[in-house]
Amino acid sequence: MSLSAWVRRARTPAPAPVAREFAFLEPADLFDLEIKDDPEASPVLCCTGDPAGAAAFNALWLKRIAASGRYAGAVSVRGQGGTPAAEGGVEARAHDLVQAAVTVPRQAVFIGHREGASWAALAAGRYPAAGLVLVSPRQFPKQPPKPVGGPPVLLVVSESEAQSKEAQAVTDAYGVAPLTFAGSPDEVFKGAAAEGLLDAILSWLAPKK
Amino acid sequence: MQEYSSQAAYDRGEAVCVIGAGASGLIAVKNLRENGFEVDCYERDTVLGGLWNPQNQHSPLYPNTHLVTSRSQTEIPDFPMPDDWPDYPSAAQMLTYLTAYAKHFGLSEHIWYGSEISTIEPVEGSRFEVIVKPAAGNAARRLRYAAVIIATGHHWAPNLPAYPGQDQYRGTVLHSSQLKDASRLRGKQVLVVGGGNSGVDIACEAAVNAAGCVHSVRRDSWHLPKYLGGEPADYALARLGSRPKFLRRFLTDRILKGPGRLAARMGIDVPDHGPTGEEPVRNGRYLEHVGDGSIRRRGEVARFDGYDVSFADGTEMRPDLVVLATGYRPKITCAPPGLLGVDGDSPYPKLLARMFSPRLETLAVAGLVEPGVGVLPIVHWQTHAIAHWLHVRKGDPERAANFRRQVVSESGQYEIEPSGASPRHQLAVDAEAYLASLGRIIDTLEQEPAK
Ligand SMILES: Cc1cc2nc3c(=O)[nH]c(=O)nc-3n(C[C@H](O)[C@H](O)[C@H](O)COP(=O)(O)OP(=O)(O)OC[C@H]3O[C@@H](n4cnc5c(N)ncnc54)[C@H](O)[C@@H]3O)c2cc1C
Repeated sequence: MSLSAWVRRARTPAPAPVAREFAFLEPADLFDLEIKDDPEASPVLCCTGDPAGAAAFNALWLKRIAASGRYAGAVSVRGQGGTPAAEGGVEARAHDLVQAAVTVPRQAVFIGHREGASWAALAAGRYPAAGLVLVSPRQFPKQPPKPVGGPPVLLVVSESEAQSKEAQAVTDAYGVAPLTFAGSPDEVFKGAAAEGLLDAILSWLAPKK
Repeated sequence: MQEYSSQAAYDRGEAVCVIGAGASGLIAVKNLRENGFEVDCYERDTVLGGLWNPQNQHSPLYPNTHLVTSRSQTEIPDFPMPDDWPDYPSAAQMLTYLTAYAKHFGLSEHIWYGSEISTIEPVEGSRFEVIVKPAAGNAARRLRYAAVIIATGHHWAPNLPAYPGQDQYRGTVLHSSQLKDASRLRGKQVLVVGGGNSGVDIACEAAVNAAGCVHSVRRDSWHLPKYLGGEPADYALARLGSRPKFLRRFLTDRILKGPGRLAARMGIDVPDHGPTGEEPVRNGRYLEHVGDGSIRRRGEVARFDGYDVSFADGTEMRPDLVVLATGYRPKITCAPPGLLGVDGDSPYPKLLARMFSPRLETLAVAGLVEPGVGVLPIVHWQTHAIAHWLHVRKGDPERAANFRRQVVSESGQYEIEPSGASPRHQLAVDAEAYLASLGRIIDTLEQEPAK
């Protein structure tokens, strides 16, 4: 975040606070002796453009992330899932994401899906995410902010989206080539394709802590 | 004289040493690490958070200390406070916040507690030998670092006035930092000396707890309520800062008209410089207490006499308790004064851009400013600049030399006319001008090197 961007934001009315729905699972919650909490591994915070919000990650994601030894969280931004609607556009949703991030015990990796990828990109311009994972981004900002603290960025899209203008925008902005997964961009929450996708993300994260 | 161990200094290579684990030290550690530096932070106390931690042995907190700057103007730019916190968080919340910051960014493992730095010595050109004061029975430790950032704060050495007759005074005198508990005021005739934020806050505590409160103020300052036009006052004023100059003037005058008239009614001469220059008093309750007589204002104390105190206007009183809210002297004892530009008669450091040592490129100070606005964001940008500077300096000597020239030329721009003898004003900067300067400094440092 540049100083001037901060000055501008500090002088703009803050979005109305909302009580955000937040779901999380820690490795210890799984009661599985095989699973070791890795205290060095960055927590993960997920969001999606899907109206279900945090709940979308319940079926598979939170458990599988926690099983990899990481704290796994998901947040519903305003108007999603159990979070009341409130005024404010994408900036307010990015605000919701940053507010969720600072309640996570340690510096978190953002995983954003669909519109959630756009909010995550904006949020990473204000908060030093430990990593930024963009899954099938939609309505991606033309000029996303430079991520604070220079986190590693991963772009994951379905094969059908590999040539999309969104994928291109992300590639241009961060200089990263997309990783593709088999299956539909809307079937990322459960099923075999979803598992493959998630495992690819987790193995990308693994060496980065 | 201190005896140092004969052991050779332990060389920490390219690591940076940060002195102090208050807000400024924590922000420095976080930003240095984010820029790839190894960092050791030394804290003389056993806790983090500096002055916001009541467990810190010398904490200057007084009863019911709350922020005088609002949440959005006080939070660290890349780690906001929870948005369901009040506009003006308490000292306890401030500590919760700083503790969460340290935990979130894993800072504690880089902090050595109970380790006071007694001095630093330049060695091998631009490096430093840092000497940790020994705990009882142990030898002093010496370590070598590539750079040092001093973040020891400036609220530890009380500034104590000496009035005629004060040493023979028979009543109780406390500095504001010694007043830990409002119950000490109960039922007493209290005299509060000092018209800054602490003095005004304590006078308000006395107004509701004590039997009577007299408030001695030497020099009037701007009185702002905590809200203006339905918004936190500092936020409302900062917003005007981004308007064109002529409009800013007009709008500022308009928004300050009410508070200015109220202050005038209470007999306070509003200084003609705007409230953004030096630290204004921010307390909405004070003038109401003056208005209902629970605080009686007096001018400067003239002398103490037995149990009595008399004022410059000739009036007298017999207080049970005198609270000196007379501020602090910025005192940096862990570095040779010359390195900080302290020279001749003035005890105040003269730093380049209010943060870089004028003598050594690898020595900087974080948080030694009174910007009249939230301090943490300023320190965030200062340490961001310092971290980038240390990078540039290592990799590109030519750019470094150019940068040095820029910093020197920027340094004169945000001095505020020293309008008072109070030590606080020596550190004052015009926040708007200082931030703009920090912005230019950071831009230069972040530019891609010309190939
Ligand atoms: C009563 C009061 C109210 C305030 N209210 C506000 C407000 O509303 N808003 C705002 O923005 N600012 C406010 N401030 C200003 C405050 O200075 C900053 O907010 C901020 O806390 C400063 O942090 P710091 O780290 O620079 O200093 P400090 O908090 O003083 O921390 C310095 C640390 O360095 C340690 N240390 C000192 N010397 C050594 C040594 N030789 N070796 C090792 N460690 C050492 C100390 O133990 C301490 O932990 C207030 C200050 C006071 C006194």
